[in-house]
Amino acid sequence: MTASPMTSQKPADLVVIGAGPAGLAAAALAAGHGIRTLLLDEQPAPGGQIYRGVTRTPIGDPRVLGPDYRRGQDLVAAFESSGAKRVVGASVWSLTRDAEAGLEIGYSVAGAGTLIQAPRVILATGAMERPFPIPGWTLPGVMGAGAAQTLLKTSALVPDGPLVLAGTGPLLWLLAVQYVRAGVSIGAILDTTPRANWRAALPHMAGFVRSSYAIKGLKQLREARSKVRVISQVTGLRALGSDRIEAVAFRRGDGAEERMPAATLLLHQGVIPNPNLASAAGCAQDWNPDQLCWMPRTDVWNASTVDGVWIAGDGAGIGGAIAAEHQGRLAAVAALSAMGVLDGAGQDREAAPIRKALAGATRGRRFLDALYRPADQFRVPEDDTLVCRCEEVTAGQLREAVRLGCTGPNQTKTFLRCGMGPCQGRLCGTTVTELIAAERRVPASEVGHYRLRPPIKPITLAELAAVSKDDIPAVAAER
Amino acid sequence: MSGTSEQDVIVVGGGLIGIASALGLRQLGLSVLLLDEGDVAHRAARGNFGLVWLQSKGGGSGDYVRWTRRSIDHWPDFSRELTELTGIDLGYRRPGGYHLCLSDTEFASRSALVDRIAPNQPDDAKTVMLDAAEVRRRIDGVGEGVVGASYNELDGDCNSLALFRALHEGFNRLGGRYKPSVRVDAVERDGGAYRVRTGEDSFGASKVVFAAGLGLNRFAGQVGMPEIVRPQRGQIIVTERLRPFLSMVFSQIRQLPNGTVLIGDTKEDAGFDNGTTSIIMRELAERAVKTLPHLANVNIVRAWGALRVLTHDGLPCYEEAPDWPGVFFATSHSAVTLAPGHAREFARWVAFGEAPPDLLGFSSARFRAAA
Repeated sequence: MTASPMTSQKPADLVVIGAGPAGLAAAALAAGHGIRTLLLDEQPAPGGQIYRGVTRTPIGDPRVLGPDYRRGQDLVAAFESSGAKRVVGASVWSLTRDAEAGLEIGYSVAGAGTLIQAPRVILATGAMERPFPIPGWTLPGVMGAGAAQTLLKTSALVPDGPLVLAGTGPLLWLLAVQYVRAGVSIGAILDTTPRANWRAALPHMAGFVRSSYAIKGLKQLREARSKVRVISQVTGLRALGSDRIEAVAFRRGDGAEERMPAATLLLHQGVIPNPNLASAAGCAQDWNPDQLCWMPRTDVWNASTVDGVWIAGDGAGIGGAIAAEHQGRLAAVAALSAMGVLDGAGQDREAAPIRKALAGATRGRRFLDALYRPADQFRVPEDDTLVCRCEEVTAGQLREAVRLGCTGPNQTKTFLRCGMGPCQGRLCGTTVTELIAAERRVPASEVGHYRLRPPIKPITLAELAAVSKDDIPAVAAER
Repeated sequence: MSGTSEQDVIVVGGGLIGIASALGLRQLGLSVLLLDEGDVAHRAARGNFGLVWLQSKGGGSGDYVRWTRRSIDHWPDFSRELTELTGIDLGYRRPGGYHLCLSDTEFASRSALVDRIAPNQPDDAKTVMLDAAEVRRRIDGVGEGVVGASYNELDGDCNSLALFRALHEGFNRLGGRYKPSVRVDAVERDGGAYRVRTGEDSFGASKVVFAAGLGLNRFAGQVGMPEIVRPQRGQIIVTERLRPFLSMVFSQIRQLPNGTVLIGDTKEDAGFDNGTTSIIMRELAERAVKTLPHLANVNIVRAWGALRVLTHDGLPCYEEAPDWPGVFFATSHSAVTLAPGHAREFARWVAFGEAPPDLLGFSSARFRAAA
């Protein structure tokens, strides 16, 4: 069921943003209790990133994308029979809380902007790839492995060869396996996982071997290693070329320098919560020293610090697709309770099995966090490397600003325009925080994060100007 | 940890006024310590629109017009000097500035303002009203909704963020000491000099300059002065980069050298909330499209809200505190336009006691009388 864009004041009692596993599960559970639920999603079809194009992938062979992908089809089916409404292609550019008007969401569909009142909101806006700032990372032909995987899932597009994958983390190996099964030739996988990570991960091994990741992950590793040249403990990685990438240079674990031709370099070193909407809404964030990223502060019900806003799934901290589903349901249960649909006992009764499943789904996560912790040199780059791609600000310029007395990203932004471009600092936020922290020799938590404001996605002036006036509760400015 | 240090002057506040004054004092050879808050603070300098502006200034005060005019006259030279010192281009230009009116009511009230301030304006820089036909003759692409404008040929703009950074960079290069992330609690007498107390430390100096923006009232109270400032929120929309199309400056719209377009000029009383609101953003967008219809399909990449530091009559406030010789207060909501004035003339006042005569009328005594 697809609803057209609305302009009514309160089209729903609960608005869920994002149609990945957390959002689909949350909306289905809430609508199943008879709550008027509206799901806003940017994509033309449900599934989020992980189950991208799950209802319409052009890849016929199910072996390519694997059995997990089909779990998404079940989620979509449950959502579609729940009675929840959905607006597809909805780009949400604003979430604000006004003392009088309450929560307000601004979104656009096909260039038409709408503002709606939303009594309660579940944010399920997922993760984004951690920035991987190396020399040459802005050259055409260098892209994120996640973005490449999206092209594979939705359009069966494969990159130009010679193809090199570099980095660390499960997605890198998953993508390698998907390419191998699709018959794509990979020149090499450059594994940047530091050897010391194994030592740090070992104490968490017991949880991992009982997790669903273990067998799956090991199978992927084995399959990739049997088909592709894998070079371990890579450091000093850089992309070379003038107009576009032509080669990749790096240092091997044995200290030898190596260079290989590449037309495409796919980089990956894990994912981090996509901070934009939660941050713009004013949700408090804390630095997570294990996952090395900012995370919105949430309680055991996934409630954020902004009244009426819950955050579920990877957007609340990386836990993977299965954990995201369960978190979405937990948040929905809490929202139902806040609406008076469930009482305290009902809330706990509904939540008990979800919490149990969630515990199972997060087992093994600490092992993965420790093992795939990206190396310092790939998070805090050297002086010549660009940090802010939009405004072309280098690590060296940032260090200079810190020496001038800038203590955090909002002041370096004022000094250097770092984080002022179209991505609003989404792509450089963690790097800037960590770089300033390293330079000041203080914890990242002391450095702070960008203050973001709506619109968090580009909208045109005409689009904003055309938003229905009746929907805006406030007084005009004097003039 | 407790620390002490001695210097000639302590400047409290690292915004545009504080840093311009600190740089000026350093250039005069004084040792200067600049104390500033941290990364998250009410910083008007971050939300500045970048106008170097004369046309609407005055509000019945001839002194304010003269002070602004002198600062604008300093600008070309000041800008060149700061660029030589730091290598940072401030982007200063003086192509003449327009305030566009989008209705007959707006035109009438603008005309009235221009008439009111005309007697105080210098003969060579009078603000004039232009009708719609004249505006259209001068500016390409102006929309049908524009019914006229006020214009002054001395108006211009600069890259206010570059100005801010260059002032800090220059201060640093000249050996000024900058201490961020401190909250100043109090100023106390210490023999013939003063001590400025922060949480754990205290710093000594024979002179103290408070350029603490919205924090001024707290310090004014400590030396027996009345409240000086209140916040007024302004919101700004910033677009994606466009090919250069706008060589003149509007008070509401300007294109930066990097191609982005700033859209602003809102005034709201929102207390200390520096957020952005849908209604103002929508209004800004609507007015921008009405003014320059070709902007309709341009993307907004960000929006910004910041608090202006306003006195009760909108005029600046400069004062050496009565009974506290050597303790100065400075505030103005035109810290970009007046930056050269602060770095040169105000700094001389602090350093040598040479008060520019036209600044003496800007003491806080006028607020005491009103209260």
